Amino acid sequence: MRVPITTRGTLFVVLAVFFLLVGWRIQALPDYTLARVVQDFLNALTLGSLYALIALGYTMVYGIIRLINFAHGEIFMLGAYFAFFAMVLTPLPLALALLTTLLLGGTALLVTRSLFNLESPKKTAGLAFPLLVGIFVLLGFRQLGWIEALFLSMIATAVSGVLLELVAYRPLRGAPRESMLITAIAASFFLQNMGQLVFGPYVKGFNPETVLNRPLSFRIGPEEVYFTGVLLVVPLITGLLLLLLNFFVTRTRLGKAMRATAQDAEVAQMMGVNVHQVIALTFFIGSTLAAAAGVMYAIRFGQIHPLMGLLPGIKAFAAAVIGGIGSLPGAVLGGLLLGFIEIYVVSLFPTLSAYKDVFAFVLLILILLFRPSGLIGEDLTEKV
Amino acid sequence: MAAEPLLELKNVSAYYGPIRALNRVNMVLYPGEMVCLLGGNASGKSTTLKTILGLVQMGEGEIYFRGERIDRKLTAYRIARGIAVVPENRRVFPRMTVRENLEMGAYLRSDPEGIREDMEYVFSLFPRLEERLSQPAGTLSGGEQQMLAMGRALMSRPRLILMDEPSMGLAPKLVETIFKIIKSVNERGITVFVVEQNANIALSIADRGYVLQTGEVVLQGPAQELLHNEAMRRAYLGEV
Ligand SMILES: Nc1ncnc2c1ncn2[C@@H]1O[C@H](COP(=O)(O)OP(=O)(O)OP(=O)(O)O)[C@@H](O)[C@H]1O
Ligand SMILES: [Mg+2]
Repeated sequence: MRVPITTRGTLFVVLAVFFLLVGWRIQALPDYTLARVVQDFLNALTLGSLYALIALGYTMVYGIIRLINFAHGEIFMLGAYFAFFAMVLTPLPLALALLTTLLLGGTALLVTRSLFNLESPKKTAGLAFPLLVGIFVLLGFRQLGWIEALFLSMIATAVSGVLLELVAYRPLRGAPRESMLITAIAASFFLQNMGQLVFGPYVKGFNPETVLNRPLSFRIGPEEVYFTGVLLVVPLITGLLLLLLNFFVTRTRLGKAMRATAQDAEVAQMMGVNVHQVIALTFFIGSTLAAAAGVMYAIRFGQIHPLMGLLPGIKAFAAAVIGGIGSLPGAVLGGLLLGFIEIYVVSLFPTLSAYKDVFAFVLLILILLFRPSGLIGEDLTEKV
Repeated sequence: MAAEPLLELKNVSAYYGPIRALNRVNMVLYPGEMVCLLGGNASGKSTTLKTILGLVQMGEGEIYFRGERIDRKLTAYRIARGIAVVPENRRVFPRMTVRENLEMGAYLRSDPEGIREDMEYVFSLFPRLEERLSQPAGTLSGGEQQMLAMGRALMSRPRLILMDEPSMGLAPKLVETIFKIIKSVNERGITVFVVEQNANIALSIADRGYVLQTGEVVLQGPAQELLHNEAMRRAYLGEV
């Protein structure tokens, strides 16, 4: 038995419960000033946005091939490292820039060619030329700002995600689900260790001089509210990416093919959809979102590490399940919810702050017990 | 018939892993024909349609469509050449709207003008669909879903349409309507290959029929002959 609840209704109940609890607790804290209200809210929105971006990758891949891509946290980590190197190492010596361009651009092209079905050489060249020139110019002439680094990292990470799919998962198409799951865990370990080997097993500081970590402040009445730019930029960029994603899946031909494949892969094939292409595209998009999250997470917390994908990865996975795995709005809701819970628990119940990483999983267990299809998940019984 | 065959299966066998589901099947469909495929449960009817589309692993044999050998081609290629399917159990995309489902039917086309014309044609066959364009397909009634599945197949402007049990689970009145529409589609020149459990109604409007049994063709011939065939009557038309 499952009580039918609409998305909007669920959203309302979740928000109401959350704010009631927060409000009730704030009553009891005399030193909870207006400044803290703003700071906590921005902190929560930022963390939640990052979880949401990562959770989308889990939910999209699951929706298409019913695989929990355990290596998704490592894709997130790669995103952070790519941006780090893009900012630290540029400008590259021109020869090296050329080499990197050909390597990255070449792989990107190979990947996107099959992704977007660019059969005609003219179309391919039309995409290849600006892409290659763009990457070369970015790498070769000056030190990159964070936005350019973010953009490059999204491309490089997307290519990595598609390669992961190609190498690790595609050969297992049609194999039992457990085989894919075990492969995903192996891929995750592999990338973690590979990262430690190649990037070094240390924490690296990631504090680019950008608007992101410029301290900002404004006054509310008698109080001064302090925060950093990243707390505004992360929700903004996340919102922008969500709009783009929404446009893609509801308005474009490939986006609709993706939804169709998630709903019934065999029939999508009967309509002429190339399912391999759609799966690769799913990894491509999920990885760009993870890269964006990785870069912004690194800037937010000021450091990167080869194992940095572990905890955010698992939490975002929990977020995807809490929201309803397979559902895009569910992943966003789950991510935001975890972000808010984590920040507000630490802020309102300082004695519990040592347990802040536990709440995601407590909530996960509760959801699995009482509403296994997630807050706004698609009803699993719908498919007859 | 003297015309070139539209579709021809020559000695086709198909497998699910080690299990053989079709055994050296031979079939021919001529342009403009309506042919029905009969047989009991698990006789391989759906498998035949999926093999034509390239969704089942094919063993030996050859498939020709419009004179071209297609059995090694991708599914998308076969569809682009003019084959469409109305799958068993309708299988509309439940969380996409009626309009999006129809658009998926035209997935491989890039002529907006022609797509619009064909959508109009689909609405003329099934006015009900036009009224429900922005409704999620999963909330349609069974009959409406069947109409949508048929409309979706027509959206690719096919030469050959494969239908897998279009009457399944529908009220008798609606079955009659659906078959009238199938007939009218066929009269537009679209070749129809229809799988049916309901042999009486299928044979009454088809030109010819094939009968499958455990993956082999055991009977074939003009519909009228099959309708009056002794073995056929005993096995499939529910007479003793
Ligand atoms: N995906 C599959 N994997 C393994 N075996 C399958 C698969 N699909 C069908 N089969 C087997 O192939 C045989 C033929 O199945 P098929 O679906 O073609 O029968 P059918 O004639 O369409 O039956 P029905 O009238 O019940 O739809 C059956 O024995 C079935 O169990
Ligand atoms: Mg069948």
